[in-house]
Amino acid sequence: MQVDDLENAGNPTPLLTARQAGLVACTGCGRVHEQGVERCERCGAHLSSRDTTSLQRVWAWWFAGLIIYFPANLYPMLITNTLGTEYKNTILGGVIELIDHHSYFVAGVVFFASIMIPVGKFIAIAYLAYSVRHRATMSDHGRQVLYEVVEFIGRWSMIDVFVVAILSSLVQFNFVASIHPGIAAISFALSVAFTMLSAQSFDPRMIWDAEEAATE
Amino acid sequence: MTDTPSPATMKVNHGKPPPWRNISMVWLFPLLALAVTLFIAWRSYSDQGELIHIEFENASGVAAGETTLRYRDVVIGTVDAVNFSSDLSKVVVAARVDKTVAPYMDSESQFWVVRPEVSAEGVSGLTTVLSGVYIEGTWDGTPGEQQTRFTGLESRPLIDNNGNGTRVTLRTADGNIMSAGSPVFYRGVQVGRTESPKLSENGSVVTVDAFIEAPHDRYLTTATRFWDTSGFQVSFGADGLKLDVGSFAALISGGVAFNTFFSGGEAIEPGQDYELYPDEATARENAFARVSANTVRMSTVFEDGVAGLAPGASVIYEGLKIGEVETIAAFMNDAGRDLQVQQMVSLRIDPQLMGLDADATAEDVYDFIGAAVEDGVRARLQRANLLSSSLIVELVEIDDADDATLDLEADPYPKIPSVTTDFQDINATLEGVMKRVNSLKIEELIAQATNTLASIQAVATDEATRAVPGQITALLGDARNFIGGEDTQAIPGELRGTIAELRSTVAEINRQGAIAQLVQTLENADATLASVTATSDSLPPLIEDLRALSAKVQGLPADEVMNAATGFLDSADRLIDTEQARNLPSSVSAALEEVRTILADLREGGAVENANSALASAQGAAQSLETATADLPELTQRLDALLARSERLIAAYGERSDFNRETLTMLREISAAARTVNSLAREIERSPNSLLFGK
Repeated sequence: MQVDDLENAGNPTPLLTARQAGLVACTGCGRVHEQGVERCERCGAHLSSRDTTSLQRVWAWWFAGLIIYFPANLYPMLITNTLGTEYKNTILGGVIELIDHHSYFVAGVVFFASIMIPVGKFIAIAYLAYSVRHRATMSDHGRQVLYEVVEFIGRWSMIDVFVVAILSSLVQFNFVASIHPGIAAISFALSVAFTMLSAQSFDPRMIWDAEEAATE
Repeated sequence: MTDTPSPATMKVNHGKPPPWRNISMVWLFPLLALAVTLFIAWRSYSDQGELIHIEFENASGVAAGETTLRYRDVVIGTVDAVNFSSDLSKVVVAARVDKTVAPYMDSESQFWVVRPEVSAEGVSGLTTVLSGVYIEGTWDGTPGEQQTRFTGLESRPLIDNNGNGTRVTLRTADGNIMSAGSPVFYRGVQVGRTESPKLSENGSVVTVDAFIEAPHDRYLTTATRFWDTSGFQVSFGADGLKLDVGSFAALISGGVAFNTFFSGGEAIEPGQDYELYPDEATARENAFARVSANTVRMSTVFEDGVAGLAPGASVIYEGLKIGEVETIAAFMNDAGRDLQVQQMVSLRIDPQLMGLDADATAEDVYDFIGAAVEDGVRARLQRANLLSSSLIVELVEIDDADDATLDLEADPYPKIPSVTTDFQDINATLEGVMKRVNSLKIEELIAQATNTLASIQAVATDEATRAVPGQITALLGDARNFIGGEDTQAIPGELRGTIAELRSTVAEINRQGAIAQLVQTLENADATLASVTATSDSLPPLIEDLRALSAKVQGLPADEVMNAATGFLDSADRLIDTEQARNLPSSVSAALEEVRTILADLREGGAVENANSALASAQGAAQSLETATADLPELTQRLDALLARSERLIAAYGERSDFNRETLTMLREISAAARTVNSLAREIERSPNSLLFGK
């Protein structure tokens, strides 16, 4: 509420939304149109005042990402063949092994990018989607920031997948050493992709709708 | 802002349509994800394979997650964990095996750990040196009652129960000749193996299981005879001295051979019992006894002694064995004028051996023998061979035989008429043979054979020979450890690092023009050495002066001598004091130092062609040095001589005045300088290389 007060400083009327003005804004380029226009005249994006299926899609992608996140953590990410011996490493196993080899920095990066970020994203998206329909303790503005952070940071989880992809294409020395991606690599990439789609499906305008409904 | 249309109240439809109409297609994705995840889970569960446990006494080299389980050398599973049994007496290896193979693992299954092995039969398991040990399993091709707990063997089972073949039991009185895994030969080809000899329950007989591989097991019939082929066999008979040696493996570990000497044997059941004969000849002789189910009993009566005839002795007809002696009984013959002891010998004749059908009746045999008797065939005793005293029964055609017939009515069996044997004749022949034999140098032969055998035994029993397999195994183990060691595996990385450094060093050297510098330095060294030569050249005149001086000294009064000596020493001092002379060693050594530094750099760089050119220059320099120093020894000697003379002179001069001391010191310095030059010269002569590479 404090944030709103600051934004509306010197303005006695509450903030006017496009919807209240009978307009619909393009989410792609930001141009506003009259109600009832189907497509943006500037960029051709589909227009809708509120995406009614947004929440549903958020949850659908969220569940898809969560389900596929299990094999991503339980199955080997990297399969390393060295002199006829096969080693399989899961994500967490790889982190532990890196710590054993005293590569704390790399271990930290992998842990952050592959475990902290995905898990954090799950929690954040679930919280955002939940807070649209229920009372949230976090301020609207805070949630807006949270949403932006989630959308921005999501792609960085792919760093692990890139490492696996590069290693398995570079390290192919037949008997001496070779690296192959495991099931977890694909699962993890899918999980990241699904959560990114989930975050994108979320219509942040709903954060503010809820607030309005509460003040009305 | 004034132009902004006034906000119209917008109609927002808040009516809620039924929930299913709102369901988005996007929910298919979680379902798909779920399906994929479940599929992955199901697949990994089904791929996981059956968990089996194998107990081993010793699981050396078996590592969880690495050691594989193989069947016919194909990987069918991996060891999951290595634990101890509850009483710590055994190692329990838990392994996951392929589900398609698991049903075949029944109580017959055998498992063992494959390690490198070196034995008399060869080297095996070498692949495990690189890849580590693995567990091999064997079972037959029919699914039985599936089992998940097995007891592992200590080593590869001698008899592969998955291979087709027949297992038979051999009975022998002496298990010493056998060892586990001895080869079984058929006509010299290895067709099977034996297991370890076992004592029968009452300890009277040793039994050995032997396994004959298919298709060779089809040669096994009830008529088959097994004999021992281990070691040597030396026999001396009418056909001369005979030495039989089986294969090398059989020589070391013993061996068994079999053959079927007579046709007509019946197919056998697995597990058939066979007698193991000590040698082939015995086996061949005994072939008859157990072949014939259908024998015909006949008898004959001998009037002379039958000492030497024993049950089991052969009955020979025209050189062929047709039967054997069953019993020998004495009875009183009271048919004649006086009582006479006669020996009745009952014979068992095998019609088959006479060429009749296997199922020929007794009548057929009687007819056959009867006809032969009509033609003059009689039974008579004969020696089994020239040297033995044992007898056999021989049916032989006697030309001038009295008429006689086969007595079919005789009791208990039909009687073949007999004739007496004139052993005198035989004995005479025998005597001749013995004489000849006597003259043979058998002792020498035997002594030599004994020596040979002793040598072979010495080699075989030598600790070193025995230790060889163990050592090789240990060596292989070491090799495996070495190859598997982290250090060894780290080598390629280090090597790469070193090469990179090397490369950069070479580049550095090239960049700095080190070679040009080196060549220049060497030229400098050359110049320096040339000046050394010049100096050396100027020395001989000095020596001449010294000589003259010495001569003068000897002839002059003491004062003058002293003055002259002082003058000389002063001039000598001056000479040594000259910059040129002083700087000589240091400039040489500086030049050498430079050379060495650059060469050290070069050596690190490893640029061979550069080194070669540098060496050529250095060689030139060294040669100049050599020529320069050639004069030095002479100079040194002269200096020495001078010194000695001067010293003597000064000693004659008397008290040790200051002058005296100074003179002595100076002379010693000269001497030390001369020695240094001398040793430098020698050093250079001895090893010009030390110039280049430092010491």
